[in-house]
Amino acid sequence: MVDVAGVVDDMTTAERGVTVVVVVAVVVLLLGLFSGRLAPTYFLFLVGLAGMYALLSLGLNSQWGFGGLINFSVAAFFGIGAYGAALVTASNSPVSDGFSPVYGLAVALGLATVLALFIGLPTLRLRADYLAIASLGLAEVVRRIILNERHLTNGSLGVRGVPGFFDDWPVLSTFPEAMPGLRIDVPLGATVELGAPFYRMLLNVLLVAVFAAGSYLLLSRVHRSPWGRVLRTIRSDEDLARALGKNTFRFKLQAFVLGSLVMALAGVFYAHLQQFVGPGTLDPLTTFYVWVAVILGGSGSNRGALFGGIVIVAVREGPRFALGWLVGILESVSGALGSDGFVGRLQEFVVSLARTLEAMDAAAVRLVLVGLLIVALMRLRPEGILPPQRELIWSSAVDEAPEQPDTGVREARGDGDD
Amino acid sequence: MAVLGLLADGLVFSSIIVLGSIGLSLVYGIADFANFAHGDTMTVGAYAALVTFGGLSGVGGPSLLGLPAAFFLALAAGFVVAALVAVVTEKLVYEPLDIGAIGLLITSIGVAFIYRGLVRIVFTAESTRYDVQSIRPIEALVPYGVRVTYHDVAIVITSVVLVGSLHALLQYTDLGRKMRAMADNPELARISGIRTDRIRLVTWTVGGGLAGVGGTFLGLFNRLSPRMGFNLLLLVFAAVILGGIGSVYGAMLGGLLIGVVHESMPLLSGLGGLLPLVPDTLGIPVGIEYAEAVAFVIMVAVLLVRPTGIAGEGT
Repeated sequence: MVDVAGVVDDMTTAERGVTVVVVVAVVVLLLGLFSGRLAPTYFLFLVGLAGMYALLSLGLNSQWGFGGLINFSVAAFFGIGAYGAALVTASNSPVSDGFSPVYGLAVALGLATVLALFIGLPTLRLRADYLAIASLGLAEVVRRIILNERHLTNGSLGVRGVPGFFDDWPVLSTFPEAMPGLRIDVPLGATVELGAPFYRMLLNVLLVAVFAAGSYLLLSRVHRSPWGRVLRTIRSDEDLARALGKNTFRFKLQAFVLGSLVMALAGVFYAHLQQFVGPGTLDPLTTFYVWVAVILGGSGSNRGALFGGIVIVAVREGPRFALGWLVGILESVSGALGSDGFVGRLQEFVVSLARTLEAMDAAAVRLVLVGLLIVALMRLRPEGILPPQRELIWSSAVDEAPEQPDTGVREARGDGDD
Repeated sequence: MAVLGLLADGLVFSSIIVLGSIGLSLVYGIADFANFAHGDTMTVGAYAALVTFGGLSGVGGPSLLGLPAAFFLALAAGFVVAALVAVVTEKLVYEPLDIGAIGLLITSIGVAFIYRGLVRIVFTAESTRYDVQSIRPIEALVPYGVRVTYHDVAIVITSVVLVGSLHALLQYTDLGRKMRAMADNPELARISGIRTDRIRLVTWTVGGGLAGVGGTFLGLFNRLSPRMGFNLLLLVFAAVILGGIGSVYGAMLGGLLIGVVHESMPLLSGLGGLLPLVPDTLGIPVGIEYAEAVAFVIMVAVLLVRPTGIAGEGT
């Protein structure tokens, strides 16, 4: 039996807040599922997207959070991963003919390594703000190349017909068709149908879960290793690291390549999820979304990066629902009101408000929301919501520490397994 | 001669980039961070001019260089609104923050999103243009291969006037001396009695205003869309870095170079025929679709070889 009270007692205020938010979000999503407002397949799609952003955030976190590298070319690595996978596996790829997705994965990671060296070698010696501008510029160069070299990438048409990742695997390829279609009468009245698309999406979620869990474990382990300690030293004081005899450029380059590989994994997943890859994948907006996720979660904190990835999906997909929902409520309110005198005028106002909201551009609303989120975050909590606390130290180091001050240092007694 | 025509196009495009890069460089020098919202400040100025011009459509008056008098009023509105937006943002967002250059850089990305999102909500994502009659290139210059319109001439002349006024402000007025002093060494400037917070506001006003004018001209040169400023931002950064961050005169020179390079891409493939002493077949086979990519590569190369830029640090 888990000691719930003890676990709660051991949390910081921020951790409690995040737990409450996550629980509320899960309850809302489950309510949506059970009331039939949220299709199960779409729900899984959202979970997949959240996993993808979590991967991207993990990758950026290992560059910025641990190494202090301002990489504004996240979209380029995401895109190169997606294009690598798509060009090798897709049916209408201009350069190959439907190889197995496993080869696609390998090619994507290889391309990402080459690109990371191509961007990292010249720029990683630069001052922080120059690195930001230079990497954004080089990411744009990559985008132009993919857009214009039609004989390699199909240009603006994009690459269609990417198979599912598990399509040539022994058991999993037939899994969606083999599973029985289910009709479930959920408690809140709706009937939910689970067919082949649902199981196909389930496989996608499985894929991203494997990618994310693998990356998370690997990165957590790596960051607690001597290598990770050197990297954190470089972040806080590069001159000190150099004085200790470390080749800081090499460490930075290694961190850059490592993070870029994780971002390319997210791209591979995206190509197989959408079964289509276009130049829009390399839109610099993706880069900034991932930055918001990492800063929101707390730079240098892997679980923060996971949390940030989930929040970004909520921000990306939320406004569309929120606006539709608001319009629905306003319409039912105006339907309930009569059409005489004051009530009539109120109804007119509500209807026109609903029209305005309906006509509103969800993408634009999203931009404003993300912008406000960034400004508010930098103003109120620049260290992020879940800044690193216990995750950077071995748990044994904490356990063996003498039981000292009874008050104050609650973190010192933590079991540190997160 | 194709070269003359491309140079003329380059000069027109340069004027717009120079207007953007001066403001970015001023703010980089005095507020000490890379302002990623600068491109979207240009967008704000362009749309402010659009609204003003639409409201003044009934106003007659003489027209100058193919542009009605109302357009110049709209241009002034673009300056004022963009400057106002920049100052209000500084007061509301940047000033209360105490998080260092990188934090401010990230904050400015958020500010850019807010500007762009609001412009998109009000004016939709569709591109639009000023209700100005498009005119034919000046006949007298066409035989020389130069195809510029009077609108282009207006863009260049206005930019030269604005840049000249800024030069006079910086070199010959008390305020300009204070601005240069502060860009050089903020602490020293404060100790010697300069009200540095006031100078900061002036800097934002000038930088934002010039960006607004640049945005309006960009709208006249191409079209207006909510992304226009962000799309230009990296070129403006390239100009600032080429010229030397914080240096106003460097930004002018960098803007000129980047603009000319951007427009003279067709020359690259036939480079051998233009230059003496090299074989005629020599050429760099890069298409015009890579014009901006070439500018970015130049920017990265400058950062690597000479991070202080052409003019070095300081105004």
